[in-house]
Amino acid sequence: MRNLLNFIIRNSHWLVAILLIAFSFYLLFSHNSYQRSVFLSSANRVAGWCYTARSNVSSFFHLKGDNRRLMERAAQLEQEIYLLKAEIDQLTATDSSKVEAFVLDTMEQSRFEFIPAEVVNLSFAGPNNFITLNKGALHGVKPDMGVISRQGVAGVVATVSNNFSMVIPVINPKFRLSAKLKNSDNYGSISWDGREVQQAQLGELPKHELFQPGDTVITSFSRIFPKRLIIGYVSDIGESKDDNFNTFNIRLATDFYSLRDVLIIRDAFYEEQKKLEEEGQ
Amino acid sequence: MKVSYLHEGLLFLLLLLLQVLLLSRIALFGIVTPVVYIYFLLKLPIGRSPFHVIISGFLLGLVIDIFLNTPGMNAAATTIVAAFRGSILNLFYERVENDEFVPNIYSEAGSFVRFTVFTVALHLTLLFFIESFTLFNFLNTLLRVVTSTIVSVALILAVDSLTYKKKSGDQA
Repeated sequence: MRNLLNFIIRNSHWLVAILLIAFSFYLLFSHNSYQRSVFLSSANRVAGWCYTARSNVSSFFHLKGDNRRLMERAAQLEQEIYLLKAEIDQLTATDSSKVEAFVLDTMEQSRFEFIPAEVVNLSFAGPNNFITLNKGALHGVKPDMGVISRQGVAGVVATVSNNFSMVIPVINPKFRLSAKLKNSDNYGSISWDGREVQQAQLGELPKHELFQPGDTVITSFSRIFPKRLIIGYVSDIGESKDDNFNTFNIRLATDFYSLRDVLIIRDAFYEEQKKLEEEGQ
Repeated sequence: MKVSYLHEGLLFLLLLLLQVLLLSRIALFGIVTPVVYIYFLLKLPIGRSPFHVIISGFLLGLVIDIFLNTPGMNAAATTIVAAFRGSILNLFYERVENDEFVPNIYSEAGSFVRFTVFTVALHLTLLFFIESFTLFNFLNTLLRVVTSTIVSVALILAVDSLTYKKKSGDQA
């Protein structure tokens, strides 16, 4: 008995090790509840603060490039304003009643609102990628909101703390999104195989689906994203898990290497649609 | 005794920040990611109790996980390495009398290099295979383990040769 007790005491550190390892694996396999917990994610206050500090330093070095992009954007908007002005002028010249209708139309409540946010941290080194943004619950961000970059779809909000939010990007194996080719009516599903940062897969497309390299891939039915948002461009045909379906490799529109500013999409009808669909089931 | 605990705490913080703010963002050629926070376990004095090693290893892994949003992944790999640290030490070092002896590159360089290579290789094998558990891509994972081990070991040895020199300079 004494020997047994001695044995247990002498090896009790193994017991502790096994318990801790078991706890780690529990975290590893229960990732759904984990991802909703703010405390254990990069959206928590300390991690968010560290990442913001780092981002403040690194954004200084990006000023030049950001400036150039802003100028380009300003030029583009300037041109649009000019075109719109020209259009308004033309409309007022031809028919004044139409202009009134046009103005009324724009006053209608917009379904989608955009919350601008800045990326404070982003990982793309391994398969488990995520993005941390500097906007949180206090700014109206909620889990399951879509996130887009200037070029296209970026990801979906998973966890929100008061001032930060954690986003699952397209380049995470857990990301799924319904999508289609722009000039076709067949729906497929976007996923990521974990190999290349700028390349995702559009799978579950019918075998007879035709494509040209460079075809645009856009969102279809989704509770999270508006329709017809750009996701990426078809590059070539990929390996398919199932003989009945085709898989395309697509080049993602969002450049994750230089992602800095994003927009979070707030859908005014999200709750209503979700409620209705859940009642239906 | 107290000073060495302070050193440990500082090393913990420094390695944590270095790893999450800088190194984990690197993906050289898309595969090589230096992972050096395990250096903390290498530098614990040789006489630390297994409890101390295991629990601090687990905490380090868990904090890294929180920053990198990788549930339990680093915690699992680091705890396993911490549990076997004593056995690995016995493999490469003769029995050392001084409990406060810290493995370093300036005394028994050969042992330290072998100890480092073995520990880092074990840690990264565990880490990358746990990480790619769901996406089975064996050769790619193996390539990541080997290349990342080489880069991480090089970094650790470089850092170790720097820090120890400074320390002995302070004492002189």
